[in-house]
Amino acid sequence: MILFQQFLANGVVVGSSYVLVALGLTLIFGILKIVNFAHGEFYMLGGYVAVVGTQVLGIGPLPSIVLVIVVMVMLGWFIERAIFVPIAKKDPTNVIIASFGLSILLQNIVLKIAGPEPMLARSGLPRGAIQIGNIFLTSERLAIVALAAVTVTALLVVLKYTWIGLSLRAMSENATVARICGINVRRVGVVTFAIGAALAGLAGALMATVFTVQPNAGSLIVMKAFVIVVLAGMGSIEGAIIAGLALGIVESLVTGYLGNGLRDIVGFIFVMGVLTIRPQGLFGIQTDRS
Amino acid sequence: MRAIFLILVAAATLAIVSTVFGGGYAINIAIVVCIYVILASSLDIVMGWTGLFSFAHAAFLGIGAYTAAILGRDFGTTFWLNLPLGMIVAGLFGFLLGLPLLRAQGHFLAIMTIAFQTIVYLVLSQWTDFTGGQYGIEVEPVAGFTTLSSYFYLVLVIAVICLIAIRFLTQSRLGDALQAIRDDETLARTIGMNTKAVKLVALAISSAFAGGAGVLLAYHIRGVTPDDYTVLASASIVAMVVLGGRGRFWGPVLGAVLLTALPEMLSILTDYKHIFYGGVLILVTMFAPQGLAGKFSRWRAR
Repeated sequence: MILFQQFLANGVVVGSSYVLVALGLTLIFGILKIVNFAHGEFYMLGGYVAVVGTQVLGIGPLPSIVLVIVVMVMLGWFIERAIFVPIAKKDPTNVIIASFGLSILLQNIVLKIAGPEPMLARSGLPRGAIQIGNIFLTSERLAIVALAAVTVTALLVVLKYTWIGLSLRAMSENATVARICGINVRRVGVVTFAIGAALAGLAGALMATVFTVQPNAGSLIVMKAFVIVVLAGMGSIEGAIIAGLALGIVESLVTGYLGNGLRDIVGFIFVMGVLTIRPQGLFGIQTDRS
Repeated sequence: MRAIFLILVAAATLAIVSTVFGGGYAINIAIVVCIYVILASSLDIVMGWTGLFSFAHAAFLGIGAYTAAILGRDFGTTFWLNLPLGMIVAGLFGFLLGLPLLRAQGHFLAIMTIAFQTIVYLVLSQWTDFTGGQYGIEVEPVAGFTTLSSYFYLVLVIAVICLIAIRFLTQSRLGDALQAIRDDETLARTIGMNTKAVKLVALAISSAFAGGAGVLLAYHIRGVTPDDYTVLASASIVAMVVLGGRGRFWGPVLGAVLLTALPEMLSILTDYKHIFYGGVLILVTMFAPQGLAGKFSRWRAR
C-alpha cells in the first residue's frame, strides 16, 4: 500500500507535465485544427532554454522560467505566421507534413548544436527528499506539480475572464459563427499557438530539472499528448487535465507492477482501442460530407 | 507500355553508372536508392492514389525486415522463402491495421498510424527475447549473392518487378477506384463502390511492398536494429513522396532518388541529412504542394 502511494505520487509528477503539453496541443489541435507534430520539439526547446538560463547565463530558476516563456512565445508566434498560416491557406492537409518536417528540423539542429548527451537544468532547490505521509518526493518534483497547478489555474482564469479566452471558446464551438460575430480569427490563432508553445516549453523546462533533456526528448511526449487529446476530446481543457494526470498515473503503476518495458506502450494501445470503437474520438460527432 | 520501357531504361542506366563509375560506395548507395524507390512508390499507393496519410510505412518496413531476420535465426530459412513471407506478414499487418484504421476520419487516421508506428517500434526495442532488443539480430548474406555488386543486381531486378507491378496496379480498375475514393469518398460510395474493401486492399498491398523492401534492407545491412524503423524513417519516406509528387507514378521514384542520393553525393550534406529532410518537407509543402512531378507536368502543360 505504501508502494502504491509512492507510485501514485510519481505518476502525478509525470502526469502534470503531460497536462501542460496536452493543454497546449488541445488548444492548437482542437481549436485551430492544426495537427502540430513539432509540439514535442517546443517541449524539448523549453528544456534547453532552461539549461542555457541556469547553466550558461547563470540566472536563477525563476528568471529562467520567464526566459523560457518569452522565447517560446516568440518562437510559436514566428512559426505560426511564417510556416503554418501560408500552408493552411493552400491546403490544410499539408500542415501535417510540414509540422513533421519542422519536428525533424528542430530536433536535428539542436542535436548539431548541443550534442546527444542529456543535459540537466539546475533548479537551485535544496537537495534531499521531502516526506509527506508515507511518500517521498524531491523538492524539484514537488515544484513541478506546484508550478503546473499554478499555470493550469492561470490558464483557466484567462480562458474564463479575458477577451482572448472568450474568443477561443467561441471559436472552439463554431469557428464560422465566431468569425461572423467579429472575432479576429487570425489574431486569436497566433495567440493560441504562442500560448500552446509556451505551455509545452514550460513543461520541458520543469522536467529538465529532474529527468534531463536531450534532442529527441519531445518525440515520444508529443505522441502521448495526442493520445491524451484524443481521449479527452479535442479542445476540452478539463478533459486534458484529467486524461493527462490519468495517463501519468497509469504509466507509473504499470512501471511499478508490470515492469518498465510496458510503460510507454500502454497509452498507444489504449488510444488505438478507443479509436477502433469510436473512430471520431471519444467526444466527436461523426459527419459525412461530399 | 512507355512507362515500363522507361523503367527498364532507368534501371539499366543506374546499373551502368554505378558499376562503371563507382566502386563499392556507389553500389552501396545504388542499393539503398532501389530499396527506397520501392518504399516511396508503395507508400504512394495509399498516400497519393487513395489520399490516406500514413506515417506507419517504416513500421511495415521493420515488420518485413524482422520477419526475415527471425525466420532466418529460428528456422534457418533462406532469402527466397523469407522475401515472400516478409511481404505476406507485412501485408497481413497492414490489413489488420486497416480494419480499425479505416473507420477513423481525417486527423484521427494520421494519429492512429503514428500510434501503430510507435507501438511497433516499442515492441521491436523492448521485447528483447524475441527481437533482440536494441542489439537486434544478425542476418546472413544471401547465398550466391554474397558480393556487393551481385546483390545490387538482385535488388535492382526486384525493384524493377515491384515498379512494374505498381504501375499495372495504378493503371488498373483498382487504381481508378482508389482515385475515385481520394477525390470524393462519399460519392464513390453512392455509386455502389465498396470503398472500405478497396482501401483495405490498397493498404495491404502497399504494406506488403514495404515488407519486401524491409527484407531487402535487412539482407543489405546484414542485420536489423529497431532504430532503423522509427517514426523518423516513416517521415523520410513521406518526404520522398511529397517532394517527388503525390499520385504520379514518377513522383515518388524521383523523390526517393533525390533524397537518398543527394545527401550522399554532397559530402557536406551527409552530416546534415535529417536537417535537409526536414527543410525539404517544409519548403515543398509551402512552395510546391504537388511536388516536383506536379511542377513539371504543369510546366509541360503550358
